[in-house]
Amino acid sequence: MKKKLVSLVLASCMVLSLAACGQSATSTETAPADTQATESAPADSANADAPAAEPVGEQVINVCLASEPASLDPALNSAVDGATMINHLFSGLAKWGLDANGNLELQPDCAQELVEGVENEDGTVTYTYTLKDGLTWSDGQPVTAGDFVFAWNRAASQALAADYGYMFEVVDGYADIWADGATGDEKLNVTAVDDKTLEVTLVNSIAYWNELLAFPTYMPVREDVVSNEAWATDPSTYVNNGAYTMTAWDHNSVITLTKNENFVDADKVTMNQINFYLSDDANNQLANFENGDWQMIDDVPTNEIASLKETYPDEFVTAGQLGTYYVCWNINEEILPAGSTLTGADKANAENEIRNALALLIDRNYIVNDIAQGGQVPASSFVAMGLTDADGSQFYQNAGPSSSFSGYYDVSEAAYEANWNAALDTLKKYYTFDEATQQFTDFPSLVYLYNTSEGHKAIGEAIQSTFAGIGITLNLENQEWATFLDTRKAGNYSIARNGWLGDYNDPISFLDMWTTQSGNNDVQFGKGDNANVAAYSLDITDLGYDTKVENGTWSETYDVLIGDIKTCTDTKTRYELMHRAEDLLMSTGCICPIYYYTDLYMINKNVQGFFSSPLGYKYFMYCTITG
Amino acid sequence: MNTKTLMYIVKRILLAIVTIWVVITVTFFVMHAVPGGPFTGEKAVSETVMQAMEAKYGLDKPLGVQYITYLGDIVTKFDFGPSLKQRGRNVNDIILDGMKTSAKLGLIAAVIALICGVILGSVAALRRNKLIDRIIMIITTAFVSMPSFIMGSLLLIAFAINLKWFPANGASKNGLVLPVITLSLYPMAYITRLTRSSMLEVLGQDYIRTAKAKGVSGVKIIFGHALKNSLIPVITYFGPMLAGIVTGSLVVEQIFAVPGIGRAFVNSITGRDYPLVMGTTIVLATLIVIMNLVGDIMYKVVDPRITLE
Repeated sequence: MKKKLVSLVLASCMVLSLAACGQSATSTETAPADTQATESAPADSANADAPAAEPVGEQVINVCLASEPASLDPALNSAVDGATMINHLFSGLAKWGLDANGNLELQPDCAQELVEGVENEDGTVTYTYTLKDGLTWSDGQPVTAGDFVFAWNRAASQALAADYGYMFEVVDGYADIWADGATGDEKLNVTAVDDKTLEVTLVNSIAYWNELLAFPTYMPVREDVVSNEAWATDPSTYVNNGAYTMTAWDHNSVITLTKNENFVDADKVTMNQINFYLSDDANNQLANFENGDWQMIDDVPTNEIASLKETYPDEFVTAGQLGTYYVCWNINEEILPAGSTLTGADKANAENEIRNALALLIDRNYIVNDIAQGGQVPASSFVAMGLTDADGSQFYQNAGPSSSFSGYYDVSEAAYEANWNAALDTLKKYYTFDEATQQFTDFPSLVYLYNTSEGHKAIGEAIQSTFAGIGITLNLENQEWATFLDTRKAGNYSIARNGWLGDYNDPISFLDMWTTQSGNNDVQFGKGDNANVAAYSLDITDLGYDTKVENGTWSETYDVLIGDIKTCTDTKTRYELMHRAEDLLMSTGCICPIYYYTDLYMINKNVQGFFSSPLGYKYFMYCTITG
Repeated sequence: MNTKTLMYIVKRILLAIVTIWVVITVTFFVMHAVPGGPFTGEKAVSETVMQAMEAKYGLDKPLGVQYITYLGDIVTKFDFGPSLKQRGRNVNDIILDGMKTSAKLGLIAAVIALICGVILGSVAALRRNKLIDRIIMIITTAFVSMPSFIMGSLLLIAFAINLKWFPANGASKNGLVLPVITLSLYPMAYITRLTRSSMLEVLGQDYIRTAKAKGVSGVKIIFGHALKNSLIPVITYFGPMLAGIVTGSLVVEQIFAVPGIGRAFVNSITGRDYPLVMGTTIVLATLIVIMNLVGDIMYKVVDPRITLE
């Protein structure tokens, strides 16, 4: 009895310590992850290898992805959990599914087939889709091509001002909608030829168009339904066209989806009811998973990862994700020793070299194995693992100066010592090194900014102690999430943690954020003092362009390059240009990649037929419960 | 009730209105002074989208104008406006939803705490220094000194994970049992101790001795004289306590994932959902002010010797 009591108290203390960290861990996740899945990537089918078993019971699954979704209006949603629910509730022109081998692929959904585009004389590309027969809304009305036209124009409009409205920037007409002096009457170049034929024209041909068609923002909605601004907050007004209908929404508690028997592909849907429980507390999610009430949870307490992997080897899943955790520099931060006489391009080049040297000092394997512990992969490039190159291979493996390792540095454990020595040699060129103490004596002290979370703090401390080993003082400063975002965006920092999850499987989703005017340009490229620094070079004459710049500013080089990529119609050239853009970006040393993100979740071993995408979207419609 | 008391109550109500107005004003300006905004996220939206959003919700107007519009909407329409984060939902609805759960949870917990606390406290007082008194004192000391997050976690492990008697999620069927227990233990222990010491004091009074000497039965002494008089400190404590637990306990709501007002409040602050921050602050402040007022009036009702001024 006494023993039992002691263990109970101990266990409670453990939970306690988790409770203390759990909150911060969830709230600091790097924002809505809406990446687009890799067409060739194998699906993360958790229990694919399990022996086939007969479905048992009423086929109701209880899952928990996150707390109350900000919006279940397909046009307004910008979060992963909302996207997962919308994928079950709506049916767009295309969807993600599994092919015969269990690999993820894009399949036609409302469209009869995913057609090829026809190029027009002015370089624009037109696609003509025919809708399937018998498509209906959940209230019985037919789904028409006009519903898509309405939905897309609404999602792209200024009036709605949706976070993901820019997903339509590839469609002809989008630029007019957001041009200065727009009247609000501008429309996308999308027309309903008749009730079943939809015609859309894109600015130029893009590789990921079919992925966009499966993106929640591209789902249809009906004009009379959404004219009620609160339509997406209550089951009685929620009219949708997907595999499920929303039968109950108990705010902040649970959303119930029930199989839609009128859905065109209803015979393939095996799960009769999905209860999406709404909780953002990882410890509470785990408690519900452990007592068997919930079959799938999308968040796990960070401190528990190591023990969960051991306790639930079949149920703890680590899946790939299209994202990079990195540290970014403020490019305008002075890092040369006081009294340095370098100016202009010489100064900029010296700083680039120093920042790149410091990046070599960071022990990514230690961070991944001992701190993050979630199967993350040490990163050596900014464009994340999982994004494909022109030939379908991994973009990051083809990046960087050397073919002997992937990316821009060798991040293997074996190379760490050589990296360390190379870094010291570089730094010694600029700073005074005291051989006796093995310390630099005139490196200005720096501040590392992170948002409040145990995980981010631990990584900051790891970098701090590495730098301290050679006499560089790195002070840690943490800020609450919203304040942190503001500070980082305004460039009021020297070094800050950062993270990015791509919106679709195309490296441009990692590269166009670093143009001068981009809202995500946290590094402040081309801003402040850097606006007049002419230290960047670009030569793409070998690719058929006449751009050749020696020592230009950021806007004369990088911004031009991104502009070229966006209008380039030749796939191979386009990908080569994107490699050049990443080369230029990484040469500044302002982006110091740490690891590629993974998606961690737990799923009960009795659930069969589950899969997820590298965007973090989860699919429950084809699941069966067998125990 | 005499005029003096009435005047007192009117004065207190007026003062309460001023208090709430001050709370509104301070919160409004401090909230807007804090860095970060409702539309900033890890992924920045473009400048034009940001402007369009701000214009849509009137955040592009000068702060003074926003403040006056806001006050006007509350006073004339009792409208807290739309949520900036949960698009399509009104703050009024969100608060109502949260309050339903929090009030249910809080009221049940408060009633349990009051009943059990008074009974245990009386028993302890009447059996002073006996074994039962000792046991009650030890347990209540433990409960008073144990923070709710420890108690909540203990109950969760024991009854939700190991024994599986109750769900771990507050939104499930019977989900409120564990949160109610967690929430009620501290005030129950506190009330027990208050009742005990106050009853001991009353039992030592002359009129109790007189009653005993007159041969009044023990039951009548306890229920007719001692208990009523020993409840005065309990009543003063009960008002603010009720406000505290009805307005939501963030810790308990977090541990058991209860969809209450406490969670909505904290999330609204981290998300800079200005109208929801204002709405929850105003509702919570109002409740606390009212509960304190009711507590003071009850004080007078139980003990006519007290004059309110």
